[in-house]
Amino acid sequence: MSKQKISIKILRYNPEKDNKPHWSSYQLEAEHDSTILDILNEIRWNIDGSLSYRRSCRSAICGSCAIKVNGQNVLACETPVHKFKAKKLKIEPLPGFRIIKDLVVDMDNFFEKLKQIKPFLILKKSIPDKEFSQSPEQFSDISESVLCILCGACTSSCPSLWSNPEYLGPASLLKAYRFIFDTRDDGAIERIDIINDKNGIWRCHTIFNCMEACPKNINITEFLSKLKVKVVENSI
Amino acid sequence: MYKRTKIYDLSYHNFIGSWAWILHRLSGLALIFYITLHIWVINTLTQGPEKFDTIMNFLNSPLFKYLEVGLWGIILFHAFNGVRIIIVDFFKGSFAQKKIFFLLIAIAFIMWATGSYIIITHIN
Repeated sequence: MSKQKISIKILRYNPEKDNKPHWSSYQLEAEHDSTILDILNEIRWNIDGSLSYRRSCRSAICGSCAIKVNGQNVLACETPVHKFKAKKLKIEPLPGFRIIKDLVVDMDNFFEKLKQIKPFLILKKSIPDKEFSQSPEQFSDISESVLCILCGACTSSCPSLWSNPEYLGPASLLKAYRFIFDTRDDGAIERIDIINDKNGIWRCHTIFNCMEACPKNINITEFLSKLKVKVVENSI
Repeated sequence: MYKRTKIYDLSYHNFIGSWAWILHRLSGLALIFYITLHIWVINTLTQGPEKFDTIMNFLNSPLFKYLEVGLWGIILFHAFNGVRIIIVDFFKGSFAQKKIFFLLIAIAFIMWATGSYIIITHIN
């Protein structure tokens, strides 16, 4: 494959030196099918070793490497350079979160909100002796929502979250959907009470940024709409 | 840790869904402004027929007819995007939200063009 020259601008921030983030430019040659992560690795290993970013599995499973490239949130490891037709890349940390260093953002708030909706099976009935059975039809309700890898790309792309950082955000609400619609779970009522709040499900204005950003192509807005209907049904 | 300003978030790419949302918000604000104005104009009836007639004469000028063309467009956008949101929320519209958007906006555009033609041809 032929190599091509690309110019990259990265938003850098070193808390020990800088008062605010600044742009640094890099020029390098990349293969046509290099991923954004390949490029970040190239910069870190051969050009500027002080660049910080999160990465782990490099196969779109761990959800560490979500960043904002040319104005949209992507997973660095699964996004090829040729997805962006321009030969210029603008790489920034996820919006809506505080920057710790360079492309590393503070996800504490994100996981705190995830904990709020109780992301575990709540059992009130007696526990079966053998396994919990669930038919394929029952599982099909939640089969798409369990694909979430908690990368934060959706929550960080949500304009409702930018204006109100207390909003639960699409990732937590998707997790709430995953448990409320799970036939084995008995905690639907308490979860509905948590999301039926001014910072809960009603902050979703069907903007669809989460759906565009999701690296697993989960139709988050559809599930949030189902949740809204469920919350209304529950309060009648 | 550094917290960026909210203005910084505006550099995010706007997809169809976010354009629809932004325009829905702006058209909503415009409609609130129009309804306030409308209620104020109707309210002049309580101050006698002369006062109402003077205001109506003023509002019958061609400038306001052209503004009405804009108002008609804003109403149509807000109404048809509202229909899209209802379809998304209740009828699994999120699977085809972009197609639904373009379809409804096309219908709205035809209605806007027809209505505007009628309004403009009735300018005295």
